[in-house]
Amino acid sequence: MRKLRALWMRFSSLLRQPRGDSDFEAELASHLAMHTDDGIRAGLTSQEARRQALIRLGGAEQTRQAYRERRGLPWLETLARDLVYSLRRLVHHPGLATIAVLSIGLGIGANATIFSMVSRFVLRPAPVGDPSTLLAIQRRGENALSWPLFHDLREQVKSFSGVAGYFPLVPASIGGRGEPERVFGQAVSANFFDVTELRMMRGCGFANSEENQPVVVLGAGLWHRRFHDDPAIVGKTVTLSGHMFTVVGVAPVGFHGIDQILEAEFWVPLGSADQLFPNLPKGPDRNQNWLFVSGRLRPGATRTQAAAELNALAERLARSYPNTDKDKPFVIVHTGLLPPDEQNGLLIFLTALSVVALLVLAIAGANIANLLFAQASGRQREMAVRLALGATHGRLQRQMLVESVLLGLGGGVLGVLLSLWATQALSAIQLPVPTPVDMRIGVDWRVLVFTFALSILSGLLLGVAPAWAAARPMLGSALKGEDALARPGRRWTLRNLLAVAQIAMSVILLSMTGLFLRSLETAASINIGFRPQDRLSMSIDPRLHSYTPEQTVAFLNQLRERVAALPGAVSAAWTDFPPLSIAGDAVTFHVGGPSSGKNDPLANLTRVTAGYFETMGIPRLAGRDFGGETASGAKTAIVNPAFVERVFAGENPIGRQVTGGGVTYQIIGVVANVKTTTLGEDLKPVLYRSLQQNVGADPNLLGYTLVVHIAGHPAAMKEAVRRQIHALDPSMAVFNEETMEEHVHSAFFLPRLAAMLFGVFGGMGLVLATVGLYGVMSYAVSRRTREIGIRMALGAQPGTVERLVLRQGLVLTLLAVALGWPAAWMLAKLAAGFLYGIHPHDALTFAVVPPLLAAIALVACWIPARRAASIEPMEALRTE
Amino acid sequence: MDEKTDVWQGTLALMVLRTLEMLGPQHGYGLARRIEQTSGDRLQLNYGTLYPALLKLEQEGFIRSHWGVSENNRRAKFYELTRAGQRQVKKAAAEWEETTAILARFLTPAEEA
Repeated sequence: MRKLRALWMRFSSLLRQPRGDSDFEAELASHLAMHTDDGIRAGLTSQEARRQALIRLGGAEQTRQAYRERRGLPWLETLARDLVYSLRRLVHHPGLATIAVLSIGLGIGANATIFSMVSRFVLRPAPVGDPSTLLAIQRRGENALSWPLFHDLREQVKSFSGVAGYFPLVPASIGGRGEPERVFGQAVSANFFDVTELRMMRGCGFANSEENQPVVVLGAGLWHRRFHDDPAIVGKTVTLSGHMFTVVGVAPVGFHGIDQILEAEFWVPLGSADQLFPNLPKGPDRNQNWLFVSGRLRPGATRTQAAAELNALAERLARSYPNTDKDKPFVIVHTGLLPPDEQNGLLIFLTALSVVALLVLAIAGANIANLLFAQASGRQREMAVRLALGATHGRLQRQMLVESVLLGLGGGVLGVLLSLWATQALSAIQLPVPTPVDMRIGVDWRVLVFTFALSILSGLLLGVAPAWAAARPMLGSALKGEDALARPGRRWTLRNLLAVAQIAMSVILLSMTGLFLRSLETAASINIGFRPQDRLSMSIDPRLHSYTPEQTVAFLNQLRERVAALPGAVSAAWTDFPPLSIAGDAVTFHVGGPSSGKNDPLANLTRVTAGYFETMGIPRLAGRDFGGETASGAKTAIVNPAFVERVFAGENPIGRQVTGGGVTYQIIGVVANVKTTTLGEDLKPVLYRSLQQNVGADPNLLGYTLVVHIAGHPAAMKEAVRRQIHALDPSMAVFNEETMEEHVHSAFFLPRLAAMLFGVFGGMGLVLATVGLYGVMSYAVSRRTREIGIRMALGAQPGTVERLVLRQGLVLTLLAVALGWPAAWMLAKLAAGFLYGIHPHDALTFAVVPPLLAAIALVACWIPARRAASIEPMEALRTE
Repeated sequence: MDEKTDVWQGTLALMVLRTLEMLGPQHGYGLARRIEQTSGDRLQLNYGTLYPALLKLEQEGFIRSHWGVSENNRRAKFYELTRAGQRQVKKAAAEWEETTAILARFLTPAEEA
């Protein structure tokens, strides 16, 4: 406390120096006067008395100095002086400062952008009250739990003050302002908002008595978008899929549910969710895992206690229900984190990206270290003079470090600006998923802290070498005006090593860039199996508007006919999800009656109407199309060659029967393979079934998609198709409106993102390394001017001199390639999972990158070599 | 900068505080003379070192200062103990006694032997 107070007083006295000085002068004067008075009284002459007083004081100047040091903070003052001096130097060398800040800024910007992903997906706690005591309860291998298990947890585990359950995605259509809209919400237990301890923006959460009431909590975004921020919304009723719900509260801004990626916009109690989402299995079946569960730790209870109690419960359950609950220990993780498996995948991806970004920063740093080092050698005389005048080495080093840290901080500021832009660009990427997800990233306080630390660190690292070298000049050489950093007989200078390291890192970066560009190229030539040009798609979900299955079929048929009759439309058909959607069901299939065993192949299930394959441009290979199916008739299906191969072992399937998901289908046709989910997937078996036959028994909970083949511009037809929908039902919500080309484009997001990131990083690395090599060679030439002059005076030809310099540069480059190439070869394996259609050791990439880099390096060396060759011997000898 | 006077400052600070406690408000010169007198002139103070020590005590909040007029009608800066300073005198004195008592135990037997 006392120390702190003293520190504060000393600090504040820095700001009012002059007054303190005169105050102490007066005090000293009064001291001397009193002492002199005493001397005179003792019989001395006034002169002698004053002399004695001064002697006993021990030197007025020393006293003043000691007093000043005690009063202020000397180290802070020198630091401030160093700062001012460094700023002045940087202003006088705007070129150096600009290049340094730009390079470091690019490197730090790359790192900050990647780190903002880490912050968003790994570090950010769930947006709930006290995230540290809210735990997600899962079982090994199962993120969701069954309804009876949820009740076991609620009743038997005492470490939790509350256990809440939620079903994460409930679609509904909502009225209010403008066209009707489909939105997603969650069905939650009544205690959900108490357990999450959310502070509502308006109203409150659910009361325990409202478990079965038609009440709803709106998300802040939905409230704003559809209800104009209506301050009196609480107590009003809103229509969700045609049912009336009373608004009891508005959730705080930024709350999209506990999960960090799904974007829910309303919450209804589980008991009344049936109106929106029938068939939630709220029965005694312990096999149906659908409910996500989070528990709030009781105050004073620890995570270990909760884990122990859950273990005991798991053992009890294993005894009571050996069929379903054996060997299923509970797992508790902090709510809001991704499930462990996905977390690991994400971590690998982000680590890889971070390594790349750090590589870019390292190259940039090596560059600037080199520049600063060159600078330092230009300041030898200044340093030598300061040393000779009595400055300490430490003082000089500190000043150099202050300078490089300033550069680092400048880079950090630029980096933050760049990452603000980059995170915005990345957030704009559309993911090919039919549910709303929030993958937006941004620069938050964690990113700022990280960036600040990284700036300081890179600033210090940049300055270490130059500071060390600059403060130890060969005094003699420096004062004579010779290069004082060159130790006699040393060939491999630090600068050369830095250049080699830079080029080696560029080899790695460029190889990766090459791989991902090749991957994008092959991805573009992947046969997706259908024709996206001139196609338009648009989705609706009549179920959300209380349509019966019969009404739905009638509506879909009617709409298809009306749209197909539009001028410009060639054909139209319905499906649940168009190809290349990350959605859909898959079940196992086997031929004929009862299942033969456990190795039944898994196949995707897709619902389509007649004419779908023609509309999508998927060729029919055998058999016929759907037509004339009725809901009660025998189920028919069309399969793809991958299905024929896996399920029928390549035999002709037409007319035969398969069973999957408890339903038997008769195969009536075969159509060509398509990419169902992602571009990179291997060909998947697919079974197409009649949409009309399945609307009743097995409706798609995410609606149906109309695909329209249009002669001409599909985008221009969007409006006309939407008008047809609203002509039939003005309240029908339309969603996922896009041309098929836009849809395919978004499926390319992963290869495009990778190619874009690596393209940017690789390009930056290449430019920086080239500049670095150029700098090293220019410096080498400038140092050898006299030597070259002598050689030429002795008869060396310009061509010989040129080759001499080029050879030196080439040796550096070759060494770097020899180091970087094997490293790139090894790292390529890590990238294998993100590549499309090419081998990680792609021959073309690994053959092209080294010569390309060597060629660029040659150009970088050629300019200084030319300069060396044009040296006039006489001038060179005279100037030095 | 502090090293050269550190050992001294520890004891000097205690002497200053104790003297102020006995004497009440006093100026720097008076303090120096009084310390010398108290020591029976066995201590020759370098008066210059007194002022940084006073400043340190003031920054730490043990003493405060104000300008006044001396007994010989000279303008002088007077120092006096604060409440925290009064507590500090007791604390430091106790500590010092403890230290000297321990040291004495080491030194006494050596003299006898």
